[in-house]
Amino acid sequence: MAKRSAFLLVLLVVAAFIGCRKDEAISLGDGVPSGGGPVVDLDQVPYPLLSQYGFFVGPLADMRPAPGVEPYEVITPAFGDYAEKYRFMWIPPGRKASYVADGQALDFPEGTVLMKAPFYRRVLPGMGRQILDTRLLIRKNGTWIFAEYIWNEEQTEAVLDMQGKNVPLTWVDDDGQAHDEIFRIPSSGECMACHMKSGERIAISLKPQNLNRVVDYEEGPMNQLAKWVAQGYLESGYPSNIETVARWDDPDETLERRVRAYLDMNCSHCHNEGGFCGYRSMRFAWQESADPAHLGVCIPPDDPFEPGVQYIVQAGNAQRSMLYVRLSSTDEAVRMPLMERTVRHEEAIQLVADWINSLPPDCP
Amino acid sequence: MKRPLLLLALGFSAWQAHAQGTCATAVNTVLATYYVAQVDGPEAPTPICTGGSTATLGRWYKYTATMDTVLMLTTDLAQNNGTDTRVHIYTGTCGNLTCLAGDDDSGSGYSSVVIFGVTTGTTYYIAFDNRWTASGFTFELRYAPPPPPIGGFTPQYVTTNGMAYCVVDMDGDGLDDAVSVTATNININYQLPGGGFTNVNRATTQADYTPSWSLCAGDLDGNGYTDLVYAGSGVTFMLANDDGLGFTELSQPEYIFCQRSNMVDINNDGELDLFVCHDVQPNVYYLNNGDGTWSWHQGGLGDQPDGGNYGSIWIDYNNDGNLDLFIAKCRGAGSPASIDELWRNNGDGTFTNVATAANFMADYHQSWSAAWADFDNDGDLDVMIGTSSFAGGGHKLLRNDGNDVFTNVTAGSGFDLFGGSSIEFIARDFDNDGYVDVLGGGALMRNNGDMTFTMMLVPCDNGPTGDLNNDGFVDVQNGNTIYMNGGNDNNWVKVITKGTISNANGIGARVEVMTPAGKQIRDIVSGDGFRYMSTLTAMFGLGQQTEITQITVRWPSGIINVVNNPSINSTITVIEDETQDVAMGVPTTVKPNLTVYPSPARTTLYLNSTRELAGSRISIIDLTGKVVATPTLVEHGIDISKLAEGLYIVKVETASGTLSARFVKE
Repeated sequence: MAKRSAFLLVLLVVAAFIGCRKDEAISLGDGVPSGGGPVVDLDQVPYPLLSQYGFFVGPLADMRPAPGVEPYEVITPAFGDYAEKYRFMWIPPGRKASYVADGQALDFPEGTVLMKAPFYRRVLPGMGRQILDTRLLIRKNGTWIFAEYIWNEEQTEAVLDMQGKNVPLTWVDDDGQAHDEIFRIPSSGECMACHMKSGERIAISLKPQNLNRVVDYEEGPMNQLAKWVAQGYLESGYPSNIETVARWDDPDETLERRVRAYLDMNCSHCHNEGGFCGYRSMRFAWQESADPAHLGVCIPPDDPFEPGVQYIVQAGNAQRSMLYVRLSSTDEAVRMPLMERTVRHEEAIQLVADWINSLPPDCP
Repeated sequence: MKRPLLLLALGFSAWQAHAQGTCATAVNTVLATYYVAQVDGPEAPTPICTGGSTATLGRWYKYTATMDTVLMLTTDLAQNNGTDTRVHIYTGTCGNLTCLAGDDDSGSGYSSVVIFGVTTGTTYYIAFDNRWTASGFTFELRYAPPPPPIGGFTPQYVTTNGMAYCVVDMDGDGLDDAVSVTATNININYQLPGGGFTNVNRATTQADYTPSWSLCAGDLDGNGYTDLVYAGSGVTFMLANDDGLGFTELSQPEYIFCQRSNMVDINNDGELDLFVCHDVQPNVYYLNNGDGTWSWHQGGLGDQPDGGNYGSIWIDYNNDGNLDLFIAKCRGAGSPASIDELWRNNGDGTFTNVATAANFMADYHQSWSAAWADFDNDGDLDVMIGTSSFAGGGHKLLRNDGNDVFTNVTAGSGFDLFGGSSIEFIARDFDNDGYVDVLGGGALMRNNGDMTFTMMLVPCDNGPTGDLNNDGFVDVQNGNTIYMNGGNDNNWVKVITKGTISNANGIGARVEVMTPAGKQIRDIVSGDGFRYMSTLTAMFGLGQQTEITQITVRWPSGIINVVNNPSINSTITVIEDETQDVAMGVPTTVKPNLTVYPSPARTTLYLNSTRELAGSRISIIDLTGKVVATPTLVEHGIDISKLAEGLYIVKVETASGTLSARFVKE
């Protein structure tokens, strides 16, 4: 339940941004280039400071997008130790992204910048919001370059740093419960672990099947992709019958579709043919996971795992399923995903348990 | 009517829980059948005798033997209808229990069947847990035929605490010990000379990292006691104090997505360094400055930007006396990060990746470890690169043909038909027949002596290996279970290398054992396979050979020492000795000398060298390889008045290299 309300909050925040963009006069805050508006010089990026892009107006930490910087929403997000995330996209004026496949990120034009910024809403001792970092994927020379900006303590600026960092903090959830956390800001190598397929750098979450949803814009609810076509960010003519993922926490969906959506966004970038762990038999991408064998149902792991745990998914028995044990573990050599998670995602663990336990116990 | 019944049932259940819920309230049993209403007692069985995770609740029984016999406990009974059980059998007293046996799923379905021997008058505790379910079941205790040892290995339980990833001699007594660690504790089963173990806990300060990915061991500071390195999201050094009774924790600040770690003298300065595979970046290493500090380096030893480095092993593949590095690599289909690398040590501080030229196919083979050994006993190291996933192709057996070229001889070797995959493959001679076997993928591949292998199922998974009962046969540890190798009538010899100029363990030394049947070789390695640390003692099987003509140790320093006609079925300790250097057919340069006088000496030993000795670190080493004194140089002399009479080696670490000499104390 805590996650659900957090999700709604994100929606509200995004709606507020969109409102700001239309209604308020743009005033230039600290660190914004004097010309105003985004400046992405591909010969110069990544800039040393986040503010130098001019992606935001007002105080940087408010993350109020400048004109042309588009907040976007996914259907099922990746879990990241319960941090919430700002997500923005900037496409150079006059250029457009185009559809490739339902399960493949849009083909973005040269100069595109995709941004993700994890934050906690209430952090002790001041109970204020803390942005940890802002991660940029910049489309340059036909590939993506990574640029990781780490925020200073004062939350006035974020500085380019590809070495990664551990940030200890205590955040407070919606129920007032405090959680100690060592938040891991990834190094460039860690970025590549997920954002790489067969040696090529990839974007992950901006797949049509994960974007094809209605968003509450100021002028009313509208399909996100249709909106992008209308705004000139996306070529028209994408298929009308996109195979769309479920929302992982939608109680009206089936357990199987919710689990598959969760595995798609949290696990499939490694567990696909060319991914980090493509050599294992799991295939967690939405378009591949309808096959129970791809989910590991009644499939033994390549290595002996734990005595008593003989299958990736022991149908009907979550406790004896490697998938469940790994999703439940915080041991860094056992846990899955390997990265972006150091704590248990309780709601997802319960979901996976419910799904496994609902399967008829048919494994040999 | 239902409600009172339910209450009655609850009351009954609560009474039962009280009676059998803890070890102290365990119910006496005889050889009969018992019904367990529910596994709901507050005391969960510990330690775990089945492998696997701990549980939260238990049910306790006990049995006192009236004769020496073998019993069977089973839940594989028709009335249980497949109920999932797990059971542990203990000796000892409540609060201080020792595993005797245990079982999870040996029966049909998820039922348990366990066979164990009992001795007249001894009380055995029988505890079920709720690891899988708390549902009720029936169990039967009865006489049973004795269990045959499976594949020559007999399980023996030891007390462990945390990750049992290390079998190595911790205290320099020549016997392997079994080590398990947590972030705040090092638990050591010190092997006793007469067999068995003394279990000791050494508390430590909180380690920043635990060895979740790998552990390696060696004497980094040369004080005679073995140090540990934990490799997790970074590395923590656990340095054994000079009395061997405690450890000083030193965690390094750098983030590393560690995989295999190795202690190795990378720059051959006589100090052990630390190499760590990085999963998502270029590999890293810490050079030992010799003063308790380490210098961090990244680059030059596997620089793929997104890593893929899993199983590193430091061996001398081309017999040039310089340690080379092989890295078993893994990543998704089509990723260059999965291409294995062979880094030749050029002997001048530089390394060159010669994998392609050496005929290691630049394919997307998926491997987390490689087993290096001279499988055909022709004097050079061959390799079995084990498959972690058949998605990228099967196992690869490569024969070393010298001249930096290997030939793929997998076809027809037995490995082409072997369907077991694993992240762990190690090379050991388990049957001491003189041909090195391969353990991994759920089986032992026994070397037939002609580069073909025959699969044999064994009860143990991969784990740290060593000789834990000092019988000359390789034993395997899995958690708190040691699989003792029952051995056979083959002969053997064990060689312990004690470096003086080279690092203290002689890690990187090449050990050769010559018998009338020919020559066998081993390289001393800290860290092989993927995760575990295995003994630093070189273990050789001799088959039916009854004599050894010579043991040769080629030290990383270039010094070569020989031992003529050593005894078989014994442990031979070879101490690096510059004065006994035999450079057999090996081109040598003139070495800087160290002379000492008088000999014998009584109170002061004087040192003389062409090198500058002022400021050197000096240590005096006895014949067991232990550092017994670290005197300070005054003028040209050192105080030796407190030494016992005997033969010693003085080691002098100068700014430009390490020197040593022997002397007699009178």
